[in-house]
Order: sequence, then structure tokens, then C-alpha cells
Amino acid sequence: MSAAQHQALVLGGVSFVAFIVFLCFLVPSRRTRFSVFAACNLLFVALMFGAVGLIDLAGGRAEIMVAVMTELPVVLIVAWVCLALGGGLPSRHGTLPAEPVVRRPWLRAMLGSAPLVLLLSLGLATVVGLVWPSPAMRVYAPAPPQFFVLKGLIMVPEGLYSSVAAVVFVMAGRAPGLKRRFYFKNLAFSVGMVCIAAIALESTVFAGLRVWFSGGDRRALLEVLNTVEACLAISCILAFTAGLSLRYTPAVATTLLHRLQTGWLHAQEQFESLEWQAVSSGAADRLMHTSNAVVEACRIRDLSQSDTQKALATIRLVAVMRDPSSEAQHIIPDAARKLYELQQEILCDDVLASKISWAAGWRSRAHEPQTVKSAPLHDALKAALDLVDNHGESEGPRTPPLWYYIVAASAADTNMIDPTHVSMQLRDGPEHRAAVEAYDAAKRALRALEGDN
Amino acid sequence: MNVNVPKRELTGTFVAKLAGYLRALRNLGAAQSRIDGSRPLLTAAEFQEELAVLGLSGRRFEPEDYSDALGEYLNISITVHVIPDSWYPELSRLLAISGRLGELRYSEQFNMAAIFVPGSLPPLVLTLAILHELGHLAAGDLLIEPDEQADEDTRDSEETTFETLPLKKGKKLARGCPFARESLREREANLRASYALFAGCLGDDNPHAYDMYDVL
Repeated sequence: MSAAQHQALVLGGVSFVAFIVFLCFLVPSRRTRFSVFAACNLLFVALMFGAVGLIDLAGGRAEIMVAVMTELPVVLIVAWVCLALGGGLPSRHGTLPAEPVVRRPWLRAMLGSAPLVLLLSLGLATVVGLVWPSPAMRVYAPAPPQFFVLKGLIMVPEGLYSSVAAVVFVMAGRAPGLKRRFYFKNLAFSVGMVCIAAIALESTVFAGLRVWFSGGDRRALLEVLNTVEACLAISCILAFTAGLSLRYTPAVATTLLHRLQTGWLHAQEQFESLEWQAVSSGAADRLMHTSNAVVEACRIRDLSQSDTQKALATIRLVAVMRDPSSEAQHIIPDAARKLYELQQEILCDDVLASKISWAAGWRSRAHEPQTVKSAPLHDALKAALDLVDNHGESEGPRTPPLWYYIVAASAADTNMIDPTHVSMQLRDGPEHRAAVEAYDAAKRALRALEGDN
Repeated sequence: MNVNVPKRELTGTFVAKLAGYLRALRNLGAAQSRIDGSRPLLTAAEFQEELAVLGLSGRRFEPEDYSDALGEYLNISITVHVIPDSWYPELSRLLAISGRLGELRYSEQFNMAAIFVPGSLPPLVLTLAILHELGHLAAGDLLIEPDEQADEDTRDSEETTFETLPLKKGKKLARGCPFARESLREREANLRASYALFAGCLGDDNPHAYDMYDVL
């Protein structure tokens, strides 16, 4: 067995073991496009080197073709990595570039050019090799200068792009506030790319030695370089395996987030804006006096600001739901129930419920931000559905708060809902009577105020 | 949204055009336009890229922070005016009747944009209305030549890519050009608003924030 065959068998063996590891451990647990691509590449490399190890090639253009084919998988890996870093991989939903690339358009353009430049260089090297054949697969044989040109054409761009990719991975991993797992992941990929760059450099030096070095230590030196190359190849595969095996599961799933964006947020925004339009444009005319009376009744009963807001939101909802002529004709009990269910879904997820919030005003840090739970709409929806939807499953809150009684009294008084339904639902208890008294007192106070004006 | 375009003198046309070309050259890549004339609607991942350009990716932020960062990037002054109902009682009524929640005014001459929203809007709607108008600025919707705005047509909105328009001079955050159809521009501004709200709330828990650190 020649030295070249021995070297090819070593590299083929390493590649095959790596392929098995990818196939058994990585691809089933983390099936990214890169892991599948890398596994296919490793199989191809293993087959190529295996064939070279078993078939003793001697001279001619066949050697050049085999040499180029063995370089192709590495070139493809480097091109893929560069494209991925530059956000250039084709995808239905688009792929993001690495964070350091986003703010550097020139870097993005450079990484995006990798497949073209690398494949062009490989093609050019093939042409050079076919026009001026050289003993490309006879590892220790002296070679003509065109062999160095052939190797240089492949290795210089490969080394350059690998180095750039390694630097980008390091920059991405060093981003402030980044989770530790991503730091190590990017570091591992960076080490992998450094190994590829080092192999490119080593191959160029190796080719130079074959062309120009003819001393007594030549063979020993080339053997050392071959060993270095095998070590670098193993390190590269190990580094990529480590990087790919480091996984991170975000606290909020992408699918859930998409559902919230298109479902809950859209529904809540539409609901609140339509209600605001109905109220502001005066479509729900009877609301003005009623809401003032509700606010005054809440004040008389010394209710908190939060409860007053809930009462106000509820009476508004009842008014627009009961006003089919208003612009809020989409605000119907079914839509309200759907929105309430979406809100409940968020509230079941502690992370989401605690994180999704919005400011109570523009540049107003004085007030606590609102959340799905704290926003008046959540309780108001439930209360309004209980009052309006006679046919629903709900039978009203078991122990309604006082603001609910005030809203019920107000809605019944203005015939927004059936007064007998309210009496039946609330069983005319002491809280209900207290709320009715407060509401009547509020109406009297407002009438007196209007009389004074 | 309204755009105030200054009247240019004929002598200034050449200089203005030259400045426009230079600016376009300077912004090359940062606001790289797809010139194929069509593109799909903005995705959450693409919005995350915009946030990264503004330095807000993976951070919790308020709409004020987004406005400040966007203004700084676009090199324009953005002011948001929340008008209390007691100041202009008719504003809410007029906006509500017209079916709008806010108004964006842009002056090319003074390099400034002003957003007007009624103070009576519910907090969530107020936040989204402001983010919606900021979304128009980010998309470069205000940089469309007035006579280039396409008429609304009745094509199926389920199609995956939509026609876009070329821009006059100016800087935008989005990579793609604005849509030709106004309804799509509004739809994309809504998308930007919802993406911004969630990204600002979730900060480093936003699943899209880490896609840029996990590219393989």
C-alpha cells in the first residue's frame, strides 16, 4: 500500500466514523439543515477516500479529478457556513444572518460571494490540473510548480473564507448578554473553521514542499504535515459535533408566539380600537351619561381606581354589544368570548403572562405597565359576557365584586340588558341593593350638577 | 400619513440628485432594496434583523426606545404627540369617524416626523398605533413618490409576493421596498407593530432573537 493510499484510508476512516456519529446521535436529536448536509458530505468524503485507498491511482488526469473530488466536500461545507452566516441560505421564511454581519453590509456581501468564488476557484484548479497533469494523489512524490498553482487556487480562497467565518463566529459568541450556551456553541464552530483554515494553510505548505524542497528530511517533514492534517481533520469534526450538539430551547416557542401575534394581539387590538371608535364617534350615544354615572357611583362607594376602570370598561362593552347600529358591529358576544379564551390561554403560561405588558401611556413611567391580567378589558370581558349573554353557559361570577353590581344596576337602568335578568342573576342581595342605591345617588348628583351648569 | 415635499428650484435639481446618489451609495446594504419589484410580507425573523441594526435585538424595550433608535438611524427627528381629549375634543371624534387611530406627518424639508394620537385611546391600542406609524417610517413608505402610488386593485391577497415601488432619495430601515398597494403597506405596518410589541416585551426570551447566534 502506497503512502497516498494509507493517508486516504486514514482520512476516509475518520470521515466514516464521523458520519456514523452524526447519523446515530446528532441528526435524530437535532435535525438542522446543516447537520443533514454535513452528514451527507461526510459520507461522500468517506466513500471518496475509501475508493482512493483501495484503488492505486498512478498518473494522468484521473489523479487530478480524484484530488478535486476530495476537496469538493470541504469547499461545499465552507460555502454553506459562509452563506448561513450571511443569511443567504434559501428558505421559505427567510434566514437571519449572524448578528455581527447584520450591521456590516460589506461582510454580508463577502460571505455571500463564498459559493461563487470557491466553486470558480475549484473549477479553475481543475482546468489547470487537466491541462498540466501532476501527481496529485502520490503524496510524497516530487511535483511540478503547476501542482502548487492547483493547490493554491483551491486552498487560498478556502482558507480565507474559513478564517473570516471563524472570526464571525467569535464575534457572535462574544455578544454582550448572550447566554453561555451560545458562547460555547459559536466558539466550537469557530474552532472548526480555524481547523479548516489551518488545513488549507498546511496543504499549501505541503504542496510547496513537494515542489521546491528536495533535502534529506523532505519525506519526514511531509509525514509530519500529514499527521498534522489528520489531527486537524479530527479536531474539526469534533468541534462541529460539539457545536451542533449544544442546543437551546427558548422559553417561548416560535409557534406559540406566532399564534399570539396573529390571534390574541390582533383580536384584542381590533376589539379595543373598534370599541374606542364606537364610543368616540358617538355611535353609542347613551353611553356618555351612563358611564359618568357609573364612575360617580364607584366614587360614592369608595372603589379603587382599578375597579372603577373595570366598571367603566364593562359598561362600555355592554353598550357597544347592545348597539347593533354602532360601528362596533363586530363586537359581538362570540368575538368577546373568543378573545377572553385567548387571554386565558396566555394567563395559563406564567412566562408569557408575566412578560407581555404594555405602557399605560407614552413616556409615562409613573404608571405600572398593563398586562393581560391587569388590563381592565380582561375582567370587563367576563363581566360583560355574564351580563349580556343570556344563553351562554356562564351564570355570572360566584361572588361578584361591588363594581360588577354597579355596572349591572346601570345597564338594567338604561335598558341595555333585561332588568329581570339582572334581578334573577344577582338575587337582589344586599350588595345589589347597595349598588343600586349608589347608582341612584350618582344619577341624582349628576342631574344636580347639570342643573347648576 | 402625510408627506410634505419641499418645492425645489430647477437649479437645485442636479445637486439634489447627486446627493441622492451619494446617499444611496453610502446606504448600500444597510437599506439594500430588492429591485425585483416584488416581495412577500415582512416576517418576524426579518423584523429581528431590523432590530439588530437598531441595536435592540434581544433586549427589552419600550416604544419610546424604538422611536429614538429609529430616529437616530434614519437621521430624522421623530416626535410623538399624545393629544388629550380636553385639548382638542374633536380630534378623537374625527379620527374615529375616519376609522383611523393616529396620524403621521413627515416633512422632508425639516427632516422630521410627527405622530399624533388621541390620548383617549386604550393603552394597548395607543402603543400599537404609535408603533404602526413608526413602522411606516421604518418601511420607507414615506419615500414613495406621490405619483408612483399604485391604484388599489382586486388581486387575490393570498399571493405570496406583492408588487413594490422604487424609492426616491432617503433612508429606510427595511431591506425591501414599500409595497405598491396601500392596503399592503398598512398591513405590513400592523405586522411591524405587533412584532415590535412582542420583541420589546420578551427581550432575550424572544425565540427569534437567538436565530442570529445559532445559524447552523
